[in-house]
Amino acid sequence: MLTKLANAVVLDPANGVNEVVADLFLRDGRIVPPPVGGERVDRVYDLTGLIAMAGAIDLHTHIGGGKVNLARAMLPEIDRRDALPATEVCGACVGGAAPSTLATGYRYAAMGYTACFEPAMLPVNARQAHMEMGDTPLVDKGAYALLGNDDFFLRLLAGGAVQAEVNDYVGWILHATQAMAIKVVNAGGISAFKFNQRKLDVDDPHPHYRVSPRQVIGSLARAVRELGVPHPLHVHASNLGVPGNVESTLATIDAAEGRPIHLTHVQFHSYGTEGERKFSSAAQRIAEAVNRAANVSVDVGQIIFGQTVTASADSMLQHRNARHARPHKWVVMDIECDSGCGVVPFRYRDKDFVNALQWAIGLELFLLVRDPWRVFLTTDHPNGGPFTSYPHVIKLLMDRGFRNDLLAAVHPAAAELSSLQDLQREYSLYEIAIMTRAAPARILGLHDRGHVGAGAAADVVVYEPDPDPERMFAKPRYVFKDGELVVERGEVKSVSWGSIHTVKPQFDRGIERKLGDYFARYQTMSMASFKLGDDEVRECGRAPGLIVHPCQDSIR
Amino acid sequence: MPCYTATCPFCGLLCDDLLVEAEVAETGGATLRPVQGACERSRAAFAKLGAPEYAVASARAAGRPATLEAALDAASAALRQARRPLIGGLAVDVAGMRATLALARRLGAIVDHAASRIKYRNLHVLQEAGWITTTLAEVKNRADLLVLVGDGWHARFPRFVERVIAPETDLLGDPLTRRIILVDDTAARAAAALPQHFERLSLNAPTSALPELFAMLGAQAAGQAVDPARLPAIAAGLLAQCAEWLRAARYGVVAWAAADLDFPHAELALQALSRLLRVLNRTGRFAGLPLAGTNGDLTANAVHTWQTGIAFPASHANGRIDFDPHRYAMDEVLARREADCLLWISSLSADSAPPPCEIPTLVLGRADIELRTEPEVFVPVATPGIDCDGHLLRTDKVISLHLRRLRSGALPSVPQAVDALLKRLG
Repeated sequence: MLTKLANAVVLDPANGVNEVVADLFLRDGRIVPPPVGGERVDRVYDLTGLIAMAGAIDLHTHIGGGKVNLARAMLPEIDRRDALPATEVCGACVGGAAPSTLATGYRYAAMGYTACFEPAMLPVNARQAHMEMGDTPLVDKGAYALLGNDDFFLRLLAGGAVQAEVNDYVGWILHATQAMAIKVVNAGGISAFKFNQRKLDVDDPHPHYRVSPRQVIGSLARAVRELGVPHPLHVHASNLGVPGNVESTLATIDAAEGRPIHLTHVQFHSYGTEGERKFSSAAQRIAEAVNRAANVSVDVGQIIFGQTVTASADSMLQHRNARHARPHKWVVMDIECDSGCGVVPFRYRDKDFVNALQWAIGLELFLLVRDPWRVFLTTDHPNGGPFTSYPHVIKLLMDRGFRNDLLAAVHPAAAELSSLQDLQREYSLYEIAIMTRAAPARILGLHDRGHVGAGAAADVVVYEPDPDPERMFAKPRYVFKDGELVVERGEVKSVSWGSIHTVKPQFDRGIERKLGDYFARYQTMSMASFKLGDDEVRECGRAPGLIVHPCQDSIR
Repeated sequence: MPCYTATCPFCGLLCDDLLVEAEVAETGGATLRPVQGACERSRAAFAKLGAPEYAVASARAAGRPATLEAALDAASAALRQARRPLIGGLAVDVAGMRATLALARRLGAIVDHAASRIKYRNLHVLQEAGWITTTLAEVKNRADLLVLVGDGWHARFPRFVERVIAPETDLLGDPLTRRIILVDDTAARAAAALPQHFERLSLNAPTSALPELFAMLGAQAAGQAVDPARLPAIAAGLLAQCAEWLRAARYGVVAWAAADLDFPHAELALQALSRLLRVLNRTGRFAGLPLAGTNGDLTANAVHTWQTGIAFPASHANGRIDFDPHRYAMDEVLARREADCLLWISSLSADSAPPPCEIPTLVLGRADIELRTEPEVFVPVATPGIDCDGHLLRTDKVISLHLRRLRSGALPSVPQAVDALLKRLG
């Protein structure tokens, strides 16, 4: 079937197209060149005056896995207030602070998102994460496997393993967990917490393995690079949320030694200790470092005022922050000599000095990092706030008057300490299209996503132009997923299940000798049980379309 | 004779190191015999699966043998007539629960697991206070103190001692010396399973004294003055020694099976335990280890929770989803006669039979399920990890394992049977 989207105003930064009126043709799930020789068009959508872009991509959103499910089970009183009744095509479910997989898929699609990446898949929990993502409709999924606190890796490093062996292990993990990239969370810190350590700075030795977070990050960044994995090492830096953590964030950039590195929810890592309250914005310093270093990209983790829940692998810092839990209940877990997790509900308040400054710091970072290809729109869903607030954040970025009106309403001392008032920048629609489509596709190595050139997946979103960008981005006129109309005027019209994105770099399978022995001696399942095969992930991840993205040739 | 490495589906430990022999009969079915790795409980469960006839067992409708098609027709007719159906049991794997949820939506059913009252003892505390918990490999490699509540850690999870408490080696180099505190007076028999060289303290507390015990230990750990005379069931000296061991632990773990806490308001004990763990973690490391996962209780609940956003028991009536642990609890619903048809799904255990009730009962169950009364319809279904592939969550809710089919047979899996019902319901 050939579908024509006629006369759309196309924004397609990956192909340098900025508000050009054009026709788009969709066939068999792909965008195709205009037909020649009178080929019959089966269906035409007249998009005169409407804006067309590629489907949006969220490169950091906690949508599946044990910690998210814990959050769901923990908060019925909050989540039930946000019920989604069944429709002809959708099942009844709840949203709230920790939305169900169904609500997650429906709401992302309704907002024009067609791919979401779970950034914290514990290798031992990979099977469940894929099953949850498999039950998340309408969007493509992928996950980043968490390393850097697992005892196998820390032992390798402590034992002075050569880089080639680390690379083999990282390659093996990517295969065995069907992952798209590698993430490290509070390098070494989650493990150190199990030894009753409460803080681990970038150059502190781990209490047992005696390796530092700097070594962990350096080694993993190098492995990711040498294996040719497209996405840089995805880093949740040390000391999340701690005043003065700007120093560890800068040291973390340094630890990558010029190799590609992505700093995630950098808002939570851009704090100074100035002022009466010993809490200040260090957004300027972080932004300058990012602007200077082409190997660094960031996503912001903007906070949104209101109720949410934080779910993180960073058990050390979640335990530290548990005293701020609202409502007052929380879970911390030590997990399988592999990682950890902490689930702490939070209520961000605009009249709270710290929360208000966090809000301002996020916006400062968005506005001070100059290159929209290297700064991404995230709330670290659900940790900074729900992904459904993205249209609101877009308005904050595009409309200085709106931004300043809200700034005037937050805790006055925070507003005073922030440079936000003085920042004149307003994002253009083209820059929004970069940061929400073209750039995430590029940094993930998704060559056929994030743009609408011929050959791309037919994930297309059509918006009605509106002077209020929040309204415009909240409710697209049409969303096409793999060429099928799935959303119309913000309502889900049909349900499909998306694909799984993975990478499978080359590595030496000889590492399995060591791993097999490790599993047999220390773990509580065999290596064979741990590994998630292609057929299995297709079935339990409900994704006949398992997409393997190429890795660059080894640059070892 | 073919021999397979297998994962045992019969308790929440999901031991994946079994060797199982399959003796294939002419009928195509096979008798399965674990020759390595299986505990007593597992061997009994395999034995019960019985002879090859099992794999070709007949469906029944109105008490008479029926073809599978006829039984499914009768079941779908009963479900179509029902105005407020209840789906119970739910000893299923992930695929079974996914299918069951689709059916629950179609029918607007109330959904509850056979053991959800037990599960709610833990869930209630999660929803009120939260936890600090740990997983099997952490306990195996790190714990230097284990506080064992009840006797379920041995009686319900027979290989817990061998695989987790007393491994041959541990990860951190120096061999761990472990201390064990046995809390209840019920633990005496199970205690024999523990290695002799571990230092041991038996509190001999009656189970009903657990709320006071944990509360007192929590207060003591927080530095508050406590009066041991208020807990006459435990000698003051023992209590003091217990508190001292808790204080000295490098990584302590409290393990319990909620099924053992069978007394009114057992959640109070766990509430107090939750507080004790929080206090101990102010200065040291300590974690809980709830033991569960048998008969798909964690699996069914996890799938329900991720797809709908809420846990059991729940109602899917009127195109909405609602969680209410009291209103939708299966026994309450039946007692209040708020359901007019019970669909019981139980593919893992032969012991999990529907409760006696006056409403039409339909069973998708193991061929050897022990039914107290003949249901309106019985459809024998495949057991995940035996007759079909499947996925189950382990006790710690972090690990899930892929269980492989060990024999072929004609039995439909739960997803196949439920999909056939859905097709008939249109």
